[in-house]
Amino acid sequence: MTNLDHGKFTRVTTTFHALLGLDVFVLFFTGYGIMFNDELWWLLELMGGNQGVTVIHRIAGVGLVALIGFWVTLMVITPTGRSNFREIIPTPGDIQAFIQDIQFVLGRADERHPNARQFAGYKADEIPLLSYVGKGVIFIFSIELTLLSISGLLIWSKTALAGFFQTKTAAMAFVVFHGLLGVIMLMGIMFHIFEHGFHPAFYPLEIKAFIPRSMIPEDHENANADSTGIENLSLSPSWGWVTSLMGFFVVIGIVSVLLGSIFDEGYPVPRDLAIGGGPTNLLLMIGINIGILVLFVGLVLSLYGNVLRSRWERQMQREREDRTTATDGGQHHGDD
Amino acid sequence: MSRELPETSSYGRIAILTSAVVGTVLALGSVWLTVFLLGGAGGSFYETLFRVGPTIQGGGVGADWTAGNTIPALDFLIALIHAADVILGVFILVLVFLHWAAFRRLASRMRQPGESESQRSDAVATDGGREATDGGHTNDADTGSGDVTDADPQAADDEGGENR
Repeated sequence: MTNLDHGKFTRVTTTFHALLGLDVFVLFFTGYGIMFNDELWWLLELMGGNQGVTVIHRIAGVGLVALIGFWVTLMVITPTGRSNFREIIPTPGDIQAFIQDIQFVLGRADERHPNARQFAGYKADEIPLLSYVGKGVIFIFSIELTLLSISGLLIWSKTALAGFFQTKTAAMAFVVFHGLLGVIMLMGIMFHIFEHGFHPAFYPLEIKAFIPRSMIPEDHENANADSTGIENLSLSPSWGWVTSLMGFFVVIGIVSVLLGSIFDEGYPVPRDLAIGGGPTNLLLMIGINIGILVLFVGLVLSLYGNVLRSRWERQMQREREDRTTATDGGQHHGDD
Repeated sequence: MSRELPETSSYGRIAILTSAVVGTVLALGSVWLTVFLLGGAGGSFYETLFRVGPTIQGGGVGADWTAGNTIPALDFLIALIHAADVILGVFILVLVFLHWAAFRRLASRMRQPGESESQRSDAVATDGGREATDGGHTNDADTGSGDVTDADPQAADDEGGENR
């Protein structure tokens, strides 16, 4: 067997995922370049300074609203989309999966619960469309993206906000709210990168998020096997040290942006101008930069996933051509 | 062994186009609403705001700053989002550690780098367990599980002898 697990998603979903990921990465790099400008001054300069970075952020923001509008409409008007709503409803199995994950780590369970399993292998028929983490990601990201879009549009027109509250300071509160709200997603994305990039069976990338299900061959002959069959896969030689390093970076990144969000807040607006950063915050500066590095790794992995999909498509095309050529004397399998 | 592409249902072309149009209209409409309606002629003009009224009725210098900093709803909103950041941040850290540890346990079950199929079979058999192999459906130990070789349908056929 190979680590090419059974696919889950349609081509539209995988394409949407890639576009959404790209857009959100641009929003993070620009948005947190502004919020953590003491620590990420180089990123701010790299993206055109104060003026350039806000322009890029707003263009990506408009793209995000378009992507959200596209996805919500598609989910509502199509039967396939409407059936997805059933798939994301939390079940008691999801809570059990979280508990069993703890037991699995402590050695008190032999397998991860089907609702937690990322590598399905021979047990592909048992696992739901979304794991308990996947459902959580959809719920939290949906709420986050909606609130971020609304608050982002509001702070675009600060004069209107200031006019409504009759004070400029209130507009600042909305800017702070927007930034602090995104921190949840920023931390969640770092975990998402670790979860789907560093599973030993898929390392360095869980490709089913990029290759649509229609292009992944399925094999059901081992459906009654005792295990997922992970013991038949080979561990990559670099998995151990790379995963340890990335795990360390992810933890440092999450802790740093969390601490940064507490210290770098801007509301209530201070009476005195407080210059952040400096030697006393050197550790925080290093930590936040490590968090940005984790995001950059995620961006590279996302692009790599699309490269793999493209290669995979070409290989399948070649296979089809070979089979067509062999039709005269050979065997036609007709699996398309 | 049969190994076939699945029958899948996807989204129709018309539905995709309709959704794309709705998304584009929504995005452009949001910008129009924000920039031109709220921030332009229909909204407040910047110069009309925050004129200093150095009288008691006018609020005096700095009154705007004090008033803006003490709006209970906004103060509550910021406190709430700080709390959400901390609570969810800690939960996300728990998930990271949980997955990190689970991945390590799963990795220990896989064939280790350089370990051959026969070594694995012997090691398992001496414990009294079952053999780990399933009749030759193996992965290439040298390329690593994440290597593109794994995503090669032809390689899968060659290794596993599957007939597609």
